[in-house]
Amino acid sequence: MGAEQAWLLAAVPAGMFIVLALLGRYLPRGGDYLGVLAIGTSFVLFFFVLADYLDFYDLEAGQTAITRVINWSQVGSFDIDFGIYVDQITIVMLAVVTTVALMVNIFSIGYMKDEPRYWWFFALLQLFAASMLTLVMSDNLLLLLISWELVGVCSFLLIGFYWEKRSATEAAKKAFVTTRVGDVGLMTGIILLYREAGTFNIQHILEMAEAGEFNETYLFVALSFIFMGAMGKSAQVPFHVWLPDAMEGPTPVSALIHAATMVVAGVYLVARLLPAYEVADNTLIIITIVGLTTALLSGFIAIVQTDIKKVLAYSTVGQLGFMFVALGSGNTTAAMFHLMTHAFFKALLFLGSGSVIHATHHHQEMTDMGGLWRKMPITGTTFFIGSLALAGLPPLAGFWSKDEILHAADEHWGLWALSLLSFAAIVTAFYTTRLFIRTFMGKPNNPEIYEHTHESNGFMTIPLVVLAVLAVTSGFVIFREVGEAIGFPGGFSEFVFLHEPHHYEIDWTLAATSFVLSFVGIYLGAYIYWGGRLTLSTRAAEFQPRIYEMLRSKFYFDELYQWAINNVVLGFSFVTSWFDRYVVNDTGVDGSAQITGYTGSVLKYIQTGRVPNYAMAIALGVVLLAVAGLAVRG
Amino acid sequence: MVPMENYLALSGILFALGVYGVLARRNAILVLMSVELMLNAVSLNFVTFAAYLDPDRILGAIFAVFVITVAAAEVGLALAIVIRLYRVRQTANVDEADILKW
Repeated sequence: MGAEQAWLLAAVPAGMFIVLALLGRYLPRGGDYLGVLAIGTSFVLFFFVLADYLDFYDLEAGQTAITRVINWSQVGSFDIDFGIYVDQITIVMLAVVTTVALMVNIFSIGYMKDEPRYWWFFALLQLFAASMLTLVMSDNLLLLLISWELVGVCSFLLIGFYWEKRSATEAAKKAFVTTRVGDVGLMTGIILLYREAGTFNIQHILEMAEAGEFNETYLFVALSFIFMGAMGKSAQVPFHVWLPDAMEGPTPVSALIHAATMVVAGVYLVARLLPAYEVADNTLIIITIVGLTTALLSGFIAIVQTDIKKVLAYSTVGQLGFMFVALGSGNTTAAMFHLMTHAFFKALLFLGSGSVIHATHHHQEMTDMGGLWRKMPITGTTFFIGSLALAGLPPLAGFWSKDEILHAADEHWGLWALSLLSFAAIVTAFYTTRLFIRTFMGKPNNPEIYEHTHESNGFMTIPLVVLAVLAVTSGFVIFREVGEAIGFPGGFSEFVFLHEPHHYEIDWTLAATSFVLSFVGIYLGAYIYWGGRLTLSTRAAEFQPRIYEMLRSKFYFDELYQWAINNVVLGFSFVTSWFDRYVVNDTGVDGSAQITGYTGSVLKYIQTGRVPNYAMAIALGVVLLAVAGLAVRG
Repeated sequence: MVPMENYLALSGILFALGVYGVLARRNAILVLMSVELMLNAVSLNFVTFAAYLDPDRILGAIFAVFVITVAAAEVGLALAIVIRLYRVRQTANVDEADILKW
């Protein structure tokens, strides 16, 4: 199978979605095996695509992308081509999405067992996989926007999966509305680009941008709008508020959609359009600042969260911030590399937390846990690996990619960005350590829950082990030798790049700094929380209660938005509803009807019903017309 | 030869008489007769113009024949309506047939 047939990767789950949505409830076990089969097929097909792509790939000859285009619709001069575009970035995204989706599907068999609407869950996972794969393969902004909204719908439906719970429906609504605000920006940006370029094709737009065919201010505005969409989807400050709430959804969904794949769509989009962003380089500083702010703020908030999924959610927000800093530094390699490693270790962490939640019968608070490592050796060990990867300890995957980002920020922006990012890295290591220690080490906080805890079954532990292996090894692909050994033309940086491939060399100073940062964070975390004790942290909270309160309230973003909605949005709606009620409805619609009725009630008396009256009217009319005709003719 | 104007004047007088009859008469039969009068005035006009302005062809005469045919059919229909009216209301007075109104 050639790489031109890569669309099959999306088509298989899409077809399976239809099957499961229509028949799933009648199938034994809700058709979960069919879901795994479909995703598994995509996973296997990916390797055929990869093999064919690597066969085709020839950098010197300029052969880096395989495309296949069909004419989708033509209305007058408005011509829409839909197609797939497979290049290095797409290959990385396909690898991440198919791998994580397969692991999550398998995990869900164990985790979602005995849940209501089991079949519907698997149907939605198929729809999500299909949409996400379409998104990363799309060669034009229109198809990208369509799949972008589709993954948003899947996210909405899956966050609100337990719709009997009010908090779940609220969270789903919040996620949808918040990302929608960003999507308005995305749509505006796409329309602006189309207006000037006359095409939706991404590569054409990039070529035009690089050739300077756009007005620079125009390009800046259009790309800033598109970045707004990316911020919404990738939960960057100030649109980050939906992602932690999205943890109301089932945990496998948090792993697949709200950590590993969908939320990186924004990163993918900016990475895809980065050549254009470089032309309008004022956007880069915006991207960097947004990324840095997000990385720092989310880190601080994560420190005081007690729900294990919330901690992970904020850490996802922060790591996405890291990726945006890399993009803001004009470094596609670092961003995509971190995207990949993060997808693996964050999916691992989320699935691990899912395993814990499942084992403790739906307890998520760290205050109910502690000492679980003894009860759950596989989950505990894999979670440990994932935590170290997130903290960025060598030689785990997170270390290499974080190092690349630090390097990129240092190279492009200099010391200030590097220091802020380093601080965010310390905070990351700190809260990760806190999370692990309070969940898995020390004494059980709640003996009753502890007694009933048990290791999860194979459906759940095998994906954990696979992802743990990836969390350890996926960072090594940065090295040329490793890349060549698995068939790539070189290391990650020689395969995925913006303009020129470059050979990766370890920058020992930076690597040492990075290691020290992680170590400091971990040491601090271990020092404060070792054995699950809370005396030091309580003292810290009491030392500055107002700061603690501010962190607990997540910097009052939700309160601010609530205030804005109550006062600005509702105030505005009050005015518009008044206008609608009294001007549009009462005066405009009802008014014209009333005028018609009144006029009719007066004029109806003309109709006497007597034939001579009508005959007289006709005769007089004819005479009048004749006189008028004569008068006009003269 | 009689001048064309004479025929036209006769036609005009006939038509005016017809209009007067339609407007002034109350009996439905008489109204119908007045309508016939107007139709005949029109037919006369057609024949006159045909004979004087385009003598080679007889288009006007054909038209007049058509008018007579249609008028005959129309009178058949109209008289039937008048008879129905008389059966229902015991009158042929058009002023009294006035229920089709507000």
